[in-house]
Amino acid sequence: MQLLVTDTDTHLVITVNEARIDAAIATRFKDKLRETIVRHRKPVEMRMRAVEFMDSSGLGAMIALRKALPEDMPLILKGLTPNVERVFRLTRMDTVFDIRPETENEEKRE
Amino acid sequence: MTSNPRQNAEIQGRATARTQPMFHRVLRAHPQTVRDTLGDIRQRFREDVSEDTLGRLELVLAEVLNNVTEHAGTGDAVRSRTPSIHLCIVRHDSGLACAITDDGASLPDDCILPRILPTAEFPDLPEGGFGWYLIQDLTQALCYYREESRNFLAFSVPFAYDEASH
Repeated sequence: MQLLVTDTDTHLVITVNEARIDAAIATRFKDKLRETIVRHRKPVEMRMRAVEFMDSSGLGAMIALRKALPEDMPLILKGLTPNVERVFRLTRMDTVFDIRPETENEEKRE
Repeated sequence: MTSNPRQNAEIQGRATARTQPMFHRVLRAHPQTVRDTLGDIRQRFREDVSEDTLGRLELVLAEVLNNVTEHAGTGDAVRSRTPSIHLCIVRHDSGLACAITDDGASLPDDCILPRILPTAEFPDLPEGGFGWYLIQDLTQALCYYREESRNFLAFSVPFAYDEASH
């Protein structure tokens, strides 16, 4: 699984380098990241620019990760591609995540 | 392929008859096979439809094919073998017409009845139940029937408003 986890002072930054979060990997993706998120217990920032496709099983995995954090601790999503953003928007799950655009610096760095 | 009088009329009305791109595949209901097939569909239509339409088509087909895969061997189809799926997609003037048949478990009776989204209040967030909602939201003319041991599902994924037909 192509995941890069970096613990900064304030956030757990997870760069997802999988092209697809779909039924073929959703369960492994969820189990692996939920364990990491619960262990660090701090706000999470997920960089999603490499993810070209997500289906409802991928969405379910993302929601499970959101639920692994307390409500007052944000799960920030950055760099959503159009196909991924569509799934969050159509299911109105965009309201339970903190969806932000990437800053120019972040785009250049990756 | 035989043509009916209406199709002939359309062809005669144009300077040149345009061959409509199509995709046909028989596949086993397995997550990796579904993933590979979706990649092939993207390759097949990427020259002919917009990225937006391609994205909606891919999502709908993923949901339909995942349903067949996930519910293999449940309900009235308690058996160990993997269902076989027949998939056909044809480009029309207004969108992509899809027909999918499989010999897996029956689809739920309410799969084509209008759905509402599960409520989402933290911490009671649903982790599933979005598949049929997405299929209904992204398709037109959705129809389903079961005949003996096969499911038949057909629908159209419309083009975007600004996507002129060729």
